[in-house]
Amino acid sequence: MNLDSKWVPMKWPCGPLEVARRNKSQTIDTDLKETIEAWGQPATLGLLKGTPINCLIVEWAHGGPEDSGQQQALKPLLEVGRRLGISFVGRIEAKDGLEGAIETGRAAGLSAVLLAGPARESYALPVIQEFPRDKVAWETTSPIFSVTDNVWPGVGLEAMKEDTVMAGPTGAPWVRTNGWFSLLGHELAPGKTLWLDFDPPDSSSLARPAAYGLAVADSEAYAGRWIISLDDKLRAALPKGNPQAMGIWAKLCESIQFFENHREWRTFKTQGVLAVVSDFRGDNAFMSTELLNLITRRHVQYQIIERAQLLSAPTQGLKAIIWVDKDTPSAQQLSKLDTFTRQGGLLITPIYWGPAGVKPYKRDPSIPYNVYNVGKGEMAVPEEGFLDPFQVAGDTHMLVSHRNDLVRLYNPGTMNLLSDIDQSHKKRLIHILNYSSGPASSVVLYVNSKDHLGRIVMPGTKTPLTIHGTAASPGTEFKLPTVADYCALLLEGSNL
Amino acid sequence: MINTSFSRRKFIGAVGAATGAWLARPLMSLANTAPASRVAIGQCHSYATPEVVDALARMFDQLGGLTKLVGGKTVAIKVNLTGGATERIDYQPVGVTHWTHPDVLGATIHLLGKAGARRIRLLESPQATAEPLDEFMLEAGWNPQEFTSAATKVEFENTNYLGWGKKYSHFIVPGGGLMFDSYYLNHSYEDCDVFVSVSKMKEHGTTGMTCSMKNCFGITPCTIYGEKAPKDEPAILPTSGRASLHNGNRQPAAPAPPEINPSSPREGGYRVPRIVVDLVSARPIHLAVLDGIETIAGGEGPWNTKHKLIKPGVLVAGMNCVSTDAVCAEIMGFDPMAARGTAPFETADSMLQLAEQKGLGTRDLKRIEVVGTPISKVRFNIRTA
Repeated sequence: MNLDSKWVPMKWPCGPLEVARRNKSQTIDTDLKETIEAWGQPATLGLLKGTPINCLIVEWAHGGPEDSGQQQALKPLLEVGRRLGISFVGRIEAKDGLEGAIETGRAAGLSAVLLAGPARESYALPVIQEFPRDKVAWETTSPIFSVTDNVWPGVGLEAMKEDTVMAGPTGAPWVRTNGWFSLLGHELAPGKTLWLDFDPPDSSSLARPAAYGLAVADSEAYAGRWIISLDDKLRAALPKGNPQAMGIWAKLCESIQFFENHREWRTFKTQGVLAVVSDFRGDNAFMSTELLNLITRRHVQYQIIERAQLLSAPTQGLKAIIWVDKDTPSAQQLSKLDTFTRQGGLLITPIYWGPAGVKPYKRDPSIPYNVYNVGKGEMAVPEEGFLDPFQVAGDTHMLVSHRNDLVRLYNPGTMNLLSDIDQSHKKRLIHILNYSSGPASSVVLYVNSKDHLGRIVMPGTKTPLTIHGTAASPGTEFKLPTVADYCALLLEGSNL
Repeated sequence: MINTSFSRRKFIGAVGAATGAWLARPLMSLANTAPASRVAIGQCHSYATPEVVDALARMFDQLGGLTKLVGGKTVAIKVNLTGGATERIDYQPVGVTHWTHPDVLGATIHLLGKAGARRIRLLESPQATAEPLDEFMLEAGWNPQEFTSAATKVEFENTNYLGWGKKYSHFIVPGGGLMFDSYYLNHSYEDCDVFVSVSKMKEHGTTGMTCSMKNCFGITPCTIYGEKAPKDEPAILPTSGRASLHNGNRQPAAPAPPEINPSSPREGGYRVPRIVVDLVSARPIHLAVLDGIETIAGGEGPWNTKHKLIKPGVLVAGMNCVSTDAVCAEIMGFDPMAARGTAPFETADSMLQLAEQKGLGTRDLKRIEVVGTPISKVRFNIRTA
């Protein structure tokens, strides 16, 4: 059995280990105990009927006395589940007796194990490695790897005053997204599948459910994969067939199914006018990853290039490159960057390494950069180096210029967007994500191409909605229908 | 896009009448002697460029032409770009609702250039940001190149902070201010020979109406007059809006002087009209251009709760901002002689009245020569439109 990139994973907390964990955190009561028991019953697997969820993550061994009880308790669940075509991944926390726990898991019918941190090459079962976000061993990750310390997508609490969305430091509300990290994962671990581990807020309830649809969309649109995780109240209500809970569950499954129906989108390439170049590691990690986080919020369209891949990375379509790291490029990298600049590109670097004798100018007093004309292009160098990622993000945005926007939203509220294109350059897909708890209306999407006919697709609607754009030189504007948490505009043609 | 020619007649208007005659006069009882100036009205039912250029060209001719006013001069234009660049009312582009339409601005630039302006600077202090003004326009979907190609030497400056200047310019309100005795502004408001206000004609939630005078509320830099400006010196960059000017919850950053009477009402309807009148006294408007081709009823921007898109199909221009705005008030169905308590000044003191009392210009239509299309042909009721 190998790891399957088509697995749609879901946390399935049950059994004695879950009871012990909850006891330890003192969050257990009679109702929760009942819930944990119910989710250990094979009958609960009935919830998965007709859904694309095909992989359950169960706790398998924590290295304590409850391990064997856990493994015994899970047997019926695993047996029934396997007959239904469901794969099980056992999470093992145990440091000692790891091989034994894996062997027991193999015998019980687990398809793989989830282990914290790097693992040695061969075990009795395939391994999915689990890392905290800032400690991913990018070079050696398993074909599927899981990352913790993600955010629950939405509007940050820092941006909320009672129920009102307030402006954040960017001038825009503080959107919390894992999107940039998924894009980074794609670049640093190409061809591998990133699972994002994050749980709904404790405050979720049936009356005010967590934004499950958004959690799916924020992962899938950026080609990540959320390990589905339900809040306690929903998990308690579902086995009882509570209609409200079943409605929330149905909508969540609808969102997952929607992206499963569009798996080909994962092969599309993210469009960007700015390339962010860094090794994204060590001392460079803070500035480079914060920059990604912040420019995502500013709707800058960017691509990520790992520093070591710069020489082979295409620069076609790029208007600007930002070299984030303090390290100077190699001679070959320097040559490539120089060519890019001389051909008309903008190169943003922490220090000046361009030709000597070029007198800089200031493009605008609000942008504290010295700008040097180099060939047909420019080099922009901050007066005092890259100090604050927030400042770097804002300055970079202005240096790249709205003139080069590929896409733009009007009445954006708390939305993000991402423009992808297929390999043949005949299909363009613009993902639009709404991070607010309420629907977004009167939103206009500008795209820089001249196709005036587009199709809106979104979870919950079977037939795409055809919409006509209006010319807005040099591109086109589309009036979007009300967006709940996600929709996408699909453009097809030759003018993309 | 902007390309037309028209004949210019001899300059016969009272250019600058509002800008100097009153300077040394006492504040009160100047209403009867406040200067009167010609105001031109033109009908224009679409933003198609030639139509806008033709209409404005005709109106500027009716005012006496622009050559004497701007020939060989540096002209600064305060554009009305209130709110954020991506904030729209419903799906509508900003130019047809609450911003000056780009075609009206482009046509004005073109005609100023044709009249011999040596340099034209577009100015605005977009709320809470120092981003370059041309970037702000691009973000809104405008193409700044249309402006730079409309005349020679067209520049942009965000006046929300020091900008390209080395220091803020100090503008003293002649005869004393109504709220502040002087204001510190971006250098571009001083480094110009001619000052033009190109505004949308619309209502305003605080002051009743937005026209050429209210447009100048936005010349104040948020580095000094913003809510989060430091106390002892201006901020380097703006990070907040101008709510403090509305509610008086703090004084401006030094070196700007504190308000004259700190015990005056902390109420926008009292404060904002006075600040506006102070500003247009200290930084006089030489030419007012109002875009009422398409606009909104119900407020001045997306943050007001009830809007209606309307198409009055009218342009108004004049060389006295008070008289020009008075004509606009009449066109929108209001009585320009109205005082507080009467529409559109239900909850605010009348800027028109305060400006007239200050001697900036008359609001009395009996004293204003209206040329071009008669008011009766374009009058509408913005409250019921």
